[in-house]
Amino acid sequence: MLVSPAFIFVLVFFVLPLIFLLSQSVLPEEGGFTLTGYVDFFESRVSRVVYLRTLKLGLIVTVICVLMSYPAAFVLTRMPARRRSFLMSLVILPLMTNAVARTYAWLIILGQRGVINQTLLSLELVERPVRFMYTETAIVLGLTQLFLPLMVLPLVSAMENIPDDVLEAARNLGADRLETFLRIVVPLSSDGLVLGATLVFTGSVTAFVTPAILGGSRLLLMSTLLRQKSVTLFDQHAAAVIAMMMIITTLAVNLLLRVLRVKQS
Amino acid sequence: MVSRRMYISLVILYGFLLGPFLIIFMASFGENSTMAFPPRGFTLDWFANVFETSQFIDSFWISLQLALLSTIVSLVMGMPVAYALTRFQFAWSGMVETVFSAPILVPGLVIGFAMLNFYVRLGDMHVMTGLFIGHTAILFPYSVRVISASLRNLDPYVEDAAVSLGANRLRGFVLVVLPNMQAGIAAAFVLGFITSFNNVPVSLFLSGPGVTTLPVSMLSYMEYYFDPTIAALSTLLVIFTILLVQSAERMLGLSQFV
Repeated sequence: MLVSPAFIFVLVFFVLPLIFLLSQSVLPEEGGFTLTGYVDFFESRVSRVVYLRTLKLGLIVTVICVLMSYPAAFVLTRMPARRRSFLMSLVILPLMTNAVARTYAWLIILGQRGVINQTLLSLELVERPVRFMYTETAIVLGLTQLFLPLMVLPLVSAMENIPDDVLEAARNLGADRLETFLRIVVPLSSDGLVLGATLVFTGSVTAFVTPAILGGSRLLLMSTLLRQKSVTLFDQHAAAVIAMMMIITTLAVNLLLRVLRVKQS
Repeated sequence: MVSRRMYISLVILYGFLLGPFLIIFMASFGENSTMAFPPRGFTLDWFANVFETSQFIDSFWISLQLALLSTIVSLVMGMPVAYALTRFQFAWSGMVETVFSAPILVPGLVIGFAMLNFYVRLGDMHVMTGLFIGHTAILFPYSVRVISASLRNLDPYVEDAAVSLGANRLRGFVLVVLPNMQAGIAAAFVLGFITSFNNVPVSLFLSGPGVTTLPVSMLSYMEYYFDPTIAALSTLLVIFTILLVQSAERMLGLSQFV
């Protein structure tokens, strides 16, 4: 009884539209059940390239986030509590600012007369401004900045539970720093790693703002392709297929990593 | 255990996380009207421009109303769910938990798109209602999780004591449990408010003529203008967020709930 109002709300306003979406993707306006929408999706070069690009960039962003967060998260957990809580609030701050504001900065950094180009020009490393905008690099940079906190937070909370004694024991038994890190810290924080990777990857492959601003219509990802199909081309059947592919991808990744986590423990 | 060299990783991390904010901040005071760096001179014109652009003012009020309303509704409906999940073991509890975490698993853009197709295009629903429903649905997981966390910290015997001393369940909840959940509720409120206020994906498809949220109107402004008005507005939003997050962190320890 306690859960029923919220339960009904979620069923009616959340589950029902998704069921309709699913039906839209397999029941075109001409009528009849068909999977041609999905076949077309994989046969069309445009959507196949966009899908693979989305997965590729998501993977790159996830790897960069892991590499940047791992050592930093470890240092954070070995700090005095007060300094750490201050630094952690600085990690949360970007997470609480809207994506448009955060992505805007990259226009100033990567633009024709932006920070990087002005620096390159003044050092005479290049003769003309380099085009960074509307490239995969730009999108990767923007997404990394956006989702980095989602990797740092679970890693920090996983590493918090590693006692200093364990690390000291490893050192006393002859392991060097790197060995201790790879053989003690990494396995003991793998839960946080898996959770962080799930959040960063699914976030990256479904983000809209960053690819819209930094990739535009020249370099589409799944999200911007969905928008284009629905709003510009008004092809709701194809748009529904893209939306379903985004759900399937997210669910598959979540399921895969959940299995991985269960196997570990 | 931590060598000096490892501090470099912190410098890189924070440089990457916070550097862009520094650049936005500098650009918002510069006189150049295109996005050039380094900014020249000093002006507050862009800040004035924020307040003179009616699309920002209108969408700010819509975002504010939307965030308040959807946060409150998601809290009021989410609280009994959190209570039931933490206090009782029932047959469907696993399924209930899955249903309530589902809005996190489905991409926001897809939620907005599905709601637009079903309720707005097919069902002729008003876009503002659509926005409200979409935002409320995505806030449920946060409300339920944060409130569950604060309920778990509360000894269930305290409530049982109230009941055995003659209060009924509802009275026990209102007089004993609720006051002890204040911090959790406040944390859930701040988180929910910020999540809704900043949301783009769900709002994008559901924004209609005259009804646009602030982040979506910032996005559409950027399609036509390249001046630092967005930088100025972003600076204002960052300051607003810092004040909100810092005071919440100080009072409630927000980071343990994220």
